[in-house]
Amino acid sequence: MSGRLVLAAALGAIVLAPLAASTYHVLLMLPFMAYAVALLGLNLLFGYTGLVSFGHALFLGIGAYTGAVLTSVCGVRSMEVILVAAGALGALVAAPVGALCVRYVKIYFGMLTLAFGMVFYTFVLKFYRLTGGDEGMPFLRPALLGWSLERMPKTDYLVGPYYYYSLAVLVLATLAMWRVVGSPFGLCLKTVRDNPTKAETLGIGVARYRWYAFVISAVYAAVGGALLGPPTGNVDPTLAYWTQSGNIVFMTLLGGFASFFGPILGAFVFIYLQDWVMSVVPFWRLVFGAILASIVIVAPGGLAGLWERRAVEREASRA
Amino acid sequence: MRTTRRSFLRLASTGAAVATVRLDGPPARAQAGGPVKVGVLTIRAGIAAPVGAAGLRGTEWWVDRVNRAGGILGRTVQLVVEEESNPKDTVERYRKLVLQDKVQAVLGGISTGVTLALGPVAEDLATPWLSWDGTTQKGVEETMPHPTWAFKSVDNEVEAIVAGMLTAKYFKGIKTVAGIGNDYSYGHDCWESYKAVLKKYAPDVRFVLELFPKLGVTDFTSHIAAIQQSKADLLMCSFWSGDATIIMKQATAVGLFKTMKGVFTTAGGVHDSLKKEFTPEGLLLGYNTMYFDDPKGSALLKQFVREYKARHGEYPPYECDHAYFCAESYKAAVEKAAAQSGKWPEKAAVARALEGIEVESLSGRRSWREDHVQMCAFYQGITTHRNPYDFATISPVEVVSTKVAMKPAGTKLFDWINSWKVSRG
Amino acid sequence: MIQQVVGVVMSGVFHASILFLVSAGLQVVFGVQKIFNLACGSFYALGAYVGVSAVGWYAAAGGPPALFIVPLAVAGLAAGGVGLVVERGLLRFVYDRDETFQLLLTFAVVLMMEDAIRMTWGTSPRSTSGLYLVYGGVSVLGTTVPVYNLIVIGASLAIALVIGWLLTRTAFGRIIRATADNREMAEALGVDVRRVFAGVFTLGTALGTLGGALVIPATAAMSEMGIELIVEAFAVVVIGGLGSMRGAFVGALSVGILRAIAISVYPKLEMLLIYLIVIAVLVLRPRGLFGEARA
Repeated sequence: MSGRLVLAAALGAIVLAPLAASTYHVLLMLPFMAYAVALLGLNLLFGYTGLVSFGHALFLGIGAYTGAVLTSVCGVRSMEVILVAAGALGALVAAPVGALCVRYVKIYFGMLTLAFGMVFYTFVLKFYRLTGGDEGMPFLRPALLGWSLERMPKTDYLVGPYYYYSLAVLVLATLAMWRVVGSPFGLCLKTVRDNPTKAETLGIGVARYRWYAFVISAVYAAVGGALLGPPTGNVDPTLAYWTQSGNIVFMTLLGGFASFFGPILGAFVFIYLQDWVMSVVPFWRLVFGAILASIVIVAPGGLAGLWERRAVEREASRA
Repeated sequence: MRTTRRSFLRLASTGAAVATVRLDGPPARAQAGGPVKVGVLTIRAGIAAPVGAAGLRGTEWWVDRVNRAGGILGRTVQLVVEEESNPKDTVERYRKLVLQDKVQAVLGGISTGVTLALGPVAEDLATPWLSWDGTTQKGVEETMPHPTWAFKSVDNEVEAIVAGMLTAKYFKGIKTVAGIGNDYSYGHDCWESYKAVLKKYAPDVRFVLELFPKLGVTDFTSHIAAIQQSKADLLMCSFWSGDATIIMKQATAVGLFKTMKGVFTTAGGVHDSLKKEFTPEGLLLGYNTMYFDDPKGSALLKQFVREYKARHGEYPPYECDHAYFCAESYKAAVEKAAAQSGKWPEKAAVARALEGIEVESLSGRRSWREDHVQMCAFYQGITTHRNPYDFATISPVEVVSTKVAMKPAGTKLFDWINSWKVSRG
Repeated sequence: MIQQVVGVVMSGVFHASILFLVSAGLQVVFGVQKIFNLACGSFYALGAYVGVSAVGWYAAAGGPPALFIVPLAVAGLAAGGVGLVVERGLLRFVYDRDETFQLLLTFAVVLMMEDAIRMTWGTSPRSTSGLYLVYGGVSVLGTTVPVYNLIVIGASLAIALVIGWLLTRTAFGRIIRATADNREMAEALGVDVRRVFAGVFTLGTALGTLGGALVIPATAAMSEMGIELIVEAFAVVVIGGLGSMRGAFVGALSVGILRAIAISVYPKLEMLLIYLIVIAVLVLRPRGLFGEARA
């Protein structure tokens, strides 16, 4: 019960944030929501299927570059078209890449995804004329639901229409993912994760289900990547570098991969914590490395895991 | 409708200070007497971290100096330093400086990829942004020809243009040229501009090899083997970081410069790592826009070099002066705008005052051109070991102004180069 | 033509010998502990910085320049001690966890080491002045090759032989191989796995730091050199096969020489070629050239 209350309160806070919080903190919510969408997908693979991808920045990159090419080369400004195209392109690339990757699990799966991610990164960096190389490409302001909103100052656009647009995408993505993991399909994935042999005997094609999960997660990551573009206004290869893949796995773990909402919480805490630590100490990587290490060692269930543990303890003490 | 409801809710929300987007922070008079906050963006990690460190040190030296002398119009300067990293995060830090910390101006910005993204953001947030070393060029063409708030560094390719002119002057008779640069826009643009300029002076020069290793590579033995095979008369290299040191060392170890001339357009950025043991005399070496050992240097430069060496154990590279000029020109613009109105000027007045302003900087007089591009001089020369240091320096020192070597406002680079009238000697 | 081939081969082999040391460190750890150590690149960078400092002190103390390789190698090996700290302080807590957590823990070490190095040595590139040229160069079939490069190649070969001997001919090697094959069985037979793990991780780290120290006279230390190298070392172990020493040797040679050929024939390809080979290997022969079969 209390979980649902917390969720409602969190959603309410997100809806009201642009009215109460400072503009800067509202702006920080934009990458949070974009990452949250991507992490929902990543966690279908990580938490529900038991496969950790170290190359999902590849799909973030695909989504972001799709938006950049559409807006600045093809003259397409509709965000809906961009999101659909990003998702479709993500699926298109994920289909063959996933088919190759899901033949392996654990570390081998991670390495294969890392290798594909680096190929994409190198491609984007090397093919200068096509992608702008290190300078990247501009992601022009997209029109939302057919409204061009071109005249609005950029910041107003971001904290107003674009904020609620991102939120709507996040809510839709969350509902869709909730359906997926609660469906028989989701149960099959969990069986594949926990006991692949049993899954095979039950007639669940292990590789096929892993592949489904991979493609779905790639679509989510690409949509998240496309959402990430407009606030920066420019898309560049660092979005697709392997440390970026590491960061999103970090977020998932920080929030808790065993919980549906854990990764979203992880993205939130990561972004605001990074913002704060960066302002306080120049050596924020050291602090973040230490945080990551302590989570891995002390609290592998992440923040959501800690919260659930406390809830259980409270129950126990009450009894 | 919507706007009204939002404003209402803003009023109704708690007493916490709620920032509205287009507000320039609290009115200037309210904080007169208090310190003036200036934002700084600097690179702290990765290959360009030394450049970032030099820029920050130059700025801090300026702050000490200005604050000792009573600040700007009696207000001391307080820096708010944030990290420049990738474009996405840096755009966020920039917004934090303006929206959260309410700085009066932002200094810094080095990498082209980042500053390309920062340009439109600076315009949107309506606060003067004075870039140390970043342009808003895509390749060699300007993407923001008429900015209001963004003030940009010299064009990336100027040092390659200067090096092209000086190659023609010092290395007469070369027939074939090989080039190496980092695999990103700066490396490619330098090479293209260098080729265009050299062609102007020596039309029959052939360019026989071009190599673009990834930024951050630390082993060039294979590249050097390829350069040797090319048997070129001259090697042009636009490395500017530790990789310049590395290629110098590895090239000298296989005797490359016994048969080949060398042009290092930008290696002066890491000049004190170019030790005499492996840096031969007779190379053309560029120090970008400040030469610490300039025999004609001002008293200000000499004092700066002395104090920098005492404090950091190194001799200052060019980025210090980009940074010093940005800060000093901001101060001058505030004073100029205040002289007209008699009070602390609005940001817009400062931005207007910056246009065309000229100040005394470390390397000499520098100014902002009307289209917000920095005007200064470039220092290049032939390497020599006749100095009191353990690293190579240059003599004679050639000083080339951006009035000569940078494309004028509104022109296209290669059209401009092609329009040159060059007398071939 | 011959000069060209010699130039390409010598530069490729030099690059390969450094890659070999780092990937050998990666392999020994993976082979025994099943941990893919992302921090191997950071250890390499640490070795480089420690090497610069050691040689600096040595020169300041007036040591003869020709012998600088001694303090360099000692410092490189000593820096391997940080491996013991990382293993005892962090990794040992996660041995019973999923491999992914172990991987993430090494990612945390990458983040921490990068800043730790910057805090200690600053951001400017560090280099060892002219020591690289102390030994001069020799002419191999008309191509000048720095003697120091030959020393590094020789040292790397010698280390390869020593490791081979250690693993196949000594009691320590037998224990390591037994633990790698079947940890429970080895434990049942009285092997102190805790000590083996500590020893192996330290050995793996020391190979990386030694690689960093040995390369430094020929190059300059920069704080992100580790991040760059990990990707190449990764290619080496994938091509060679995870966990295999022979794989590291062959993989390093392939990557080193292919890269050199690409640079001299079609420079645009460079690293892209390596990644394409990595993917081809992963698709066609995922256990690499010498890896054990494992799905």
